[in-house]
Amino acid sequence: MKLKSYLKLFKISNIDFSKEIGISSVSLSRYISGERLPEKKILNKIFKLTDGLVDANDFFLSSSSSRDLSEIHKEEIKKMVLNIREGKLKDLAKAITLIESSLKLHNAQADFLLSKFKQNKNSLRVGITGVPGVGKSTFIETFGMSLIDLGFKVAVLAIDPSSKRTGGSILGDKTRMMKLSVNKNAFIRPSPSQGNLGGVAKRTSESIRCLEEAGFNIIFIETMGVGQAETTVYDMVDIFLVLLLPSGGDELQGIKKGIIEMADVIIINKADGNLKNTAEITMSEYKNAQNMISNIREDISPEVFLCSSTESFGITKIWNFIRKFEKIRRDNGSFYKTRIKQQTKAIWRNIIMQSQDYIENNLKYKDSVKKIIKDVEKNNFDVNNASKIIFDSILKRNT
Amino acid sequence: MDRKKLYKGWEEQASKELRDKNLEDHFWETPEGIKVKPLYTEDDLQKISHEIGVPGLPPYTRGPRATMYTNRPWTIRQYAGFSTAEESNKFYKEGLKNGVMGLSVAFDLATHRGYDSDHPRVVADVGNAGVAIDSIEDMNLLFDGIPLDQMSVSMTMNGAVIPVLASFIASGEEQGCPREKLTGTIQNDILKEFMVRNTFIFPPKPSMRIVADIIEYTSKKMPKFNSISISGYHMQEAGANQVQELAYTLADGKEYIKSALERGLNIDEFAPRLSFFWSIGMNFFMEIAKMRAARYMWSKIVKQFNPKNDRSLALRTHCQTSGVSLMEQDAYNNIVRTTIEAMAAVMGGTQSLHTNSFDEALALPTKFSARIARNTQLIISEETGICNVIDPLAGSYYVESLTSSIVEESQKLINEIDEVGGMVKAIEMGIPKMRIEESSAKRQARVDSNEETIVGVNKYKPTEKQEINILSIDNEEVRKRQVSRLQNIKNSRNNKTVESFIEKIKNAANSDGNLLEICIEASKNRCTVGEMTSAMESVFGRHNLSTKTISGVYKNSVKNDGKIDIIDNELSKFVNKKGRRPRMLVVKMGQDGHDRGAKLIATAFSDLGFDVDIGPLFQTPEEAAKQAIENDAHVIGVSTLAAGHKTLVPLLMESLKNNEANYIKVICGGVIPPDDYPFLYDLGVSKVFGPGTNIQEAAIEIINLL
Ligand code: B12
Ligand SMILES: Nc1nc2c(ncn2[C@@H]2O[C@H](COP(=O)(O)OP(=O)(O)O)[C@@H](O)[C@H]2O)c(=O)[nH]1
Ligand SMILES: [Mg+2]
Repeated sequence: MKLKSYLKLFKISNIDFSKEIGISSVSLSRYISGERLPEKKILNKIFKLTDGLVDANDFFLSSSSSRDLSEIHKEEIKKMVLNIREGKLKDLAKAITLIESSLKLHNAQADFLLSKFKQNKNSLRVGITGVPGVGKSTFIETFGMSLIDLGFKVAVLAIDPSSKRTGGSILGDKTRMMKLSVNKNAFIRPSPSQGNLGGVAKRTSESIRCLEEAGFNIIFIETMGVGQAETTVYDMVDIFLVLLLPSGGDELQGIKKGIIEMADVIIINKADGNLKNTAEITMSEYKNAQNMISNIREDISPEVFLCSSTESFGITKIWNFIRKFEKIRRDNGSFYKTRIKQQTKAIWRNIIMQSQDYIENNLKYKDSVKKIIKDVEKNNFDVNNASKIIFDSILKRNT
Repeated sequence: MDRKKLYKGWEEQASKELRDKNLEDHFWETPEGIKVKPLYTEDDLQKISHEIGVPGLPPYTRGPRATMYTNRPWTIRQYAGFSTAEESNKFYKEGLKNGVMGLSVAFDLATHRGYDSDHPRVVADVGNAGVAIDSIEDMNLLFDGIPLDQMSVSMTMNGAVIPVLASFIASGEEQGCPREKLTGTIQNDILKEFMVRNTFIFPPKPSMRIVADIIEYTSKKMPKFNSISISGYHMQEAGANQVQELAYTLADGKEYIKSALERGLNIDEFAPRLSFFWSIGMNFFMEIAKMRAARYMWSKIVKQFNPKNDRSLALRTHCQTSGVSLMEQDAYNNIVRTTIEAMAAVMGGTQSLHTNSFDEALALPTKFSARIARNTQLIISEETGICNVIDPLAGSYYVESLTSSIVEESQKLINEIDEVGGMVKAIEMGIPKMRIEESSAKRQARVDSNEETIVGVNKYKPTEKQEINILSIDNEEVRKRQVSRLQNIKNSRNNKTVESFIEKIKNAANSDGNLLEICIEASKNRCTVGEMTSAMESVFGRHNLSTKTISGVYKNSVKNDGKIDIIDNELSKFVNKKGRRPRMLVVKMGQDGHDRGAKLIATAFSDLGFDVDIGPLFQTPEEAAKQAIENDAHVIGVSTLAAGHKTLVPLLMESLKNNEANYIKVICGGVIPPDDYPFLYDLGVSKVFGPGTNIQEAAIEIINLL
């Protein structure tokens, strides 16, 4: 990190800092501006004082930080913010694209955009998971339309799995949300996950903030109930719905026990036609299972509901429960506390994701690293030593 | 002489001629997965599992009638309809004067979907892809001067089958022909609509009830009328291979029998009036074998329901030569293709036949192209002597062996359907549609990588452009005329009576009254097709198809001849520049239900590395624009086949403009006559991709465009 940014972040004045190192504030300004380079002794002091955040490289290597946006870009984004608040779908859509983009410039623009947003405390973020075909999109269609009738503005982020091999994707959720997708009080955005679930989580929680800024007050996040997408989504929503089919146990549905334990609401969908009886049996099974784990929550226990998304059955009961859930959590303060905890989690998740990204796309391709690995393969070098050296190189923050 | 020794001798000789190549390499694996050998012999005849028999007697493998064409040739029945009832009426009369023997009405998509011509969702559909029929008045004009007690009329109608059949019956009576004298066929095959043809209106359950209403009514009151035409045709056209076409159609047939029996009908009351409909493509012997296998299998299926009358076991069929085998490029080749297919239909023993016109991939036929199509049949029938012998290929080592293979393979698919509980269930689960789309993607992959030849398209391409005159319909004019006629009807009829009929229809829909019976009276009292449909819709609801997609099939079947590498390379350049993959929204607007191309484009482009959004069927331009904007697609890919493009694309462009979203590019694909390209480019369309487009080449062009 540049010294200038460090001082700004920690709100330390130039004078105070120069005193600590024992140099004149004029010299310090010269180091900061790059006019002069600090000598070894001074560098060491700065390194220690800043807990390692500012080191020699920050003086010797010039930064090409794309975080610094041009004024033109900033103006564009500011306009975008205004348009989003005014409810222009086009700008909202473009903002989400910036967030999802793999370009550094776009991410910088997105960061700037998000920095203009306020925290939204009134929205409700609803996570929905379940195996493909259980009826998530159909449920959102029916549920979403009834919420719009009640006066809400409803947004949906649907995360689709990209095919790993080609990287392309085919996104068809909207065909199951026919009424919702053409309603002017609804906004639906399906996004390809591109195999990177950590990335999805980061991007999705930022997209949620865009939607909230645009005035959407109920936000659905639809994910597949397989892989790890649902745990990451769990960490960004206020309430978590798990949809199940009217049949068999968890194994049969390809759902992990852990997910059932995360559920705030369990919905047995497709409780219609000749599946109705099976649905009732499934419901009582889950009710029994629920008794054993419900004590985890002190304020409100998860509940199991029967539902038919195609026949609008059970929707009102589910909504009443969600309202009750929200009220209890808002009243006891845990609603907002959870969001704050989720933010902390997000920090660590982002760090892990970026490290992984750095390892996959950068570190593995370094000549030195490749050579070390070759040596290990030839038995010229032992694994522990090799990993230690490579890890040290990460700490040295090679760019 | 010893047969074994003889064949051994052939094998040795053949191997010698092949030199170092293996005889096994000369086995042909058909798209159905049937292994065809280079030579069939008497031995193969010993192994067949079906019975050959004689024509006119069960199991009818050789034909439903004892005399077949030796007594009377098949009925030349050309499917036609366009613009207004008056225009179509003229066209029919012209055909009848020149060899056509039975009529077959093609309705426009507004009528198919139960909308009157003045409905806002059909501005682009009235009179375009068939004739617009809003009421009995239109029916009267359609058959003006055509005595219905002498002319057999086939009607392709499934969604709005009740009001349309009702108007037809009522019109016949106004003409002086009592209903029991009417001859012909109503398609009335709703199951394949949910699978491939897409002109459904109501959800599956009430739709099946309607089918049974019609079977019940016609079996009692219209003894000479075929109550249903169980159709495989549309499946093959949507991409099914011949085994799939056969198996799913027979499975549909079983389902209809079951629902008629549940109605309390006796099998012999209605089974003789069930008819079938096949598509006949370019795989000559396979098609003939399919038709023979179908008759054999159907007789075995019906047998399970214990009929007393042998006629219940006989499968009678209409055939149409395959439209998908016909190309826009080098279009006169299509005459040859159609001839070969027509020959197969005749050798297979069809009861009636439609031959396509050579301008099939451009537009509806002109007078000229329709004449050649008709003459193709007349020449086969009257110049070749083919009609003088019944089932001439029976006993052929190859054809009989192929017939058996088809029986066996189809039976496997039917068993699969039985296991999930029948066709209604299977369709709900999306099984047949998925299978058919897989076959369609595989076919495209073979054509795109030149493994399957299409003369004039991927091989022997013509160097000069041919000018072909095509039929163009002023759909705005047709719509105006229909709307004013509707207005007249509504002003002159007794609206009180109409309202009471609407109530009666609703009541019948809610109870178990026969909907056809009531609607015949309603039609006579000038209730419109749209009004009768919406009365039923208020009870049944309108069905939305949930679009399922396949992935990986195209990529796995395509041979990489370098284009795939180019695409990968262009894509990674694109991603480095734009920060995401190219994103394309594939849309279907208006009532055009041709979704084969759209589904194919969607699955293939995503296989190739695009992010593809797929819109629902029947979108309006405004809805399509909203979806493209929200998803932030780079490009909207409009797939249009039913001539709606000249109305719908301008509306789409306008809608994008109104939302300040001109940055989204628009491309079009499908059946678009070359004369319309300049019109589309002037609107700002970036590129048009016609029939026969190589998908990989299109992908490269689109990446470059963006
Ligand atoms: C198959 C077919 C059917 C099937 C459709 C099955 C299905 N689920 O799609 C069936 C038998 C059900 C059918 C029915 C009807 N059909 Co039809 N059908 C055809 C046919 C023979 C082939 C179309 C096809 O699927 N080709 C194969 C696909 C892969 O090709 P494609 O769609 O052209 O796509 C390629 C390119 O165009 C391009 N492309 C297309 N879209 C896009 C999009 C993008 C983004 C890109 C990049 C490229 C691209 O790339 C693709 C790959 O090469 C055409 C004639 C013909 N040969 O084209 C008539 C045709 C389209 N049908 C016609 C008609 C009239 C009908 C009916 C309305 C008849 C009636 N009155 O009842 C019905 C109603 C159907 C409905 N619901 O809309 C007419 C339309 C007339 C017109 N335009 O003026 C045609 C032209 C035949 C004719 N000449 O009479 N049909
Ligand atoms: N019978 C019935 N079918 C449903 C219900 N909900 C969804 N479906 C059907 O199940 C299929 C998959 O639904 P979809 O919403 O796409 O599932 P998703 O993959 O979980 O989003 C579709 O064909 C729906 O029509 C329901 O409540 N009852
Ligand atoms: Mg979904």
